[in-house]
Amino acid sequence: MVHYKSLIKPWLLVVAALCALSGVVPSPALAQEKVIKIGTIFPLTGPVALAGQRCKAAVETAVEILNNKYPNIKVPLADKKGFLDGYKFVLVHADSQGKADVGKAEAERLINQEGVWGLIGAYNSSVSMPASFVAERAKKIFMCGASSSAALTQRNMKFFFRTASTDEIESHEFVEVLKWLNKTQKNANIKTLGLIYENSVFGKHAAEEAKKAAAAGGFEVITDVPFTPGATNLDSEVQTMKSKNPDALFGAVLGADYALMVKTMKKMNWNPKVSLNYCSGYQDPVIAKQLGPDANFFMGSTGYSPQFSKMMPAVAEVEKIFKTKTGGVPYDSDSIQESVAMFVLAQAIEKARSLDPETVAKTLYANTWTSPLSLSGKVAFAPGGQNKLSLSIITQLQGGEYKRIFPKESADSKAVFPITAWDKR
Amino acid sequence: METLLQVLLDGMLNGMLYALVAVGLCLIWGVMDVINFAHGEYLMIAMYVSYWLGFLLKVDPLISLIAGGIFIFILGAMTYWLIIRYTIGKPPLSALLATFGLAMLLKNLCLNQFSPNFRILSGTWLGDKTFQLGFLIVPVPQLVTAIVALVIVGLIYGMTKSTRFGWAVQATALDKEAAELMGINTERIYFLIFGIGGATVGIAGGLMPTYLAVHPEVGTMFSLIAFVCVAMGGFGSIPGALVAALLIGIVEALSGFYIAPVFKYVAVFGLYLALVFLRPKGIFGW
Repeated sequence: MVHYKSLIKPWLLVVAALCALSGVVPSPALAQEKVIKIGTIFPLTGPVALAGQRCKAAVETAVEILNNKYPNIKVPLADKKGFLDGYKFVLVHADSQGKADVGKAEAERLINQEGVWGLIGAYNSSVSMPASFVAERAKKIFMCGASSSAALTQRNMKFFFRTASTDEIESHEFVEVLKWLNKTQKNANIKTLGLIYENSVFGKHAAEEAKKAAAAGGFEVITDVPFTPGATNLDSEVQTMKSKNPDALFGAVLGADYALMVKTMKKMNWNPKVSLNYCSGYQDPVIAKQLGPDANFFMGSTGYSPQFSKMMPAVAEVEKIFKTKTGGVPYDSDSIQESVAMFVLAQAIEKARSLDPETVAKTLYANTWTSPLSLSGKVAFAPGGQNKLSLSIITQLQGGEYKRIFPKESADSKAVFPITAWDKR
Repeated sequence: METLLQVLLDGMLNGMLYALVAVGLCLIWGVMDVINFAHGEYLMIAMYVSYWLGFLLKVDPLISLIAGGIFIFILGAMTYWLIIRYTIGKPPLSALLATFGLAMLLKNLCLNQFSPNFRILSGTWLGDKTFQLGFLIVPVPQLVTAIVALVIVGLIYGMTKSTRFGWAVQATALDKEAAELMGINTERIYFLIFGIGGATVGIAGGLMPTYLAVHPEVGTMFSLIAFVCVAMGGFGSIPGALVAALLIGIVEALSGFYIAPVFKYVAVFGLYLALVFLRPKGIFGW
């Protein structure tokens, strides 16, 4: 007979080892380390997972630079190891699947169970909205890189900060482009506008802002086409636009849906004179590559593309680290904003000399932050948390490259107008 | 009138694709009373098979659809052998949950292996080719898919109605015990039916990279529509699934164009709900 006492010690050892491995009992090394836990919420699976994975890689890139010493990288705090006398960021990742309810639940889990100090995310505006409400209630800072819905920064929140442009700013930029084309291109005569957008918070807000900007600019919206993200086809959507044939098209179409839209436009042999796209599939360098020549001549607002490297020399060294996490894919307009958000947050903590979220939030509002990864080179927040110095350039894909075409002072190429017909490419 | 005919044509072509995706699901349900929740993932994996063959070996989807069919035949047969046969005779929920688990496993495996990156196969034989038929624009890849769908659905229907194997399948579907008493190896029938059901969706997936981007989520909406096709057509009825798929394609296109694009799936699922209330067994159900 085996005496039960002889089994107790081995089992205790196994349990203790498992506890140590799973982190139930903090190891002495971890307990002594000064760490700030940041929860990330991005769509790591689902229709826009590709963008979400890149945003996560962007946050990891910033954290790697901030936690270690990179004297060759010309961004604030890169030249020393850690910040605030040796503090380091530790990331806890969560997957929103691009769904608002999942994102909200993950925000609650990260705050209540993981005990994170702050949050960063969430790419989809529809997820950033409820997740940031959770953070605000818990008095935790929520750094938002790429969500573009203007409504996010119209809520007078204390702890919400967004570094990217909003769809409100982009809509006005797009209308300015239409006016500029009318002025500079022979027989442009752009009068009517079509909208195509995914039926989500992001898409609907973009469409609302587009309608306001179009009305202010004297353009008539003649077709308004929301669609279900992840649809099996976009035939009815493109057919509807083709039948109305607007002069210009504004699109808020993400990921694979953008590729499907372009392919369907080709199938139906239809193009507007000009097509401008919000932060969407257009900005994704992988889409540009995958679509090949079909991606050409579409336009959109761009905060960063590798073709901007001369204007933003500090990006190159940071991008090298980013590429190791994405299999060689460079930053795009959205993902770079997540790195910007982390760098700005670290600077604010350093400047505040405090880990009190209220003090850090006040410091974020009170200062202008150096941001070599932003087009303007600086970040400053207006009440509500919007980066009032955010800047983007209108680009057009020509020969697979994002060419700068507007405003004139930033342009490096002439616009191809109107979009070349499918059968003449 | 021209627009109406174009919309109808697009709807019918999409409907034929739905039929090709749904026929395997219909076959499996009809014979085994098992709802295969991993059907959309079979489609996605077949698309990956076709994509990688095209990308790495320059095999056109028109040829790699055979590889897609064979690969998913094996996957389907293995699903039966390793999972489903242990749920036969158990509460119906067990098979449903088992295939749901398999779906999650396959999707996450692909996410892990291929990343969420979506991939477009360029330079295929059919490419983005279209031709003009009067005022109608006919997309060649979708037309070829529709023809393949008709052939496959016809072959499956013909097999079940006029071959000894098909009679054995029908006998197994009607009464498993009685079929066994007649000397039919029902386990073999189930094994092959799961394989054939997989092969049909494998052929659809093999063709689709010609005109659709491949990514781990691509099967989700297609599988949902395939379930509606099978339920509307009458569970287990192959002609029913074909008619329902065509009806869904046409309703989707007409409502999308004449009511609102965002309304197209509302119309499809609304039609399904109405049909379930009026004729719970489906159009061809009995």
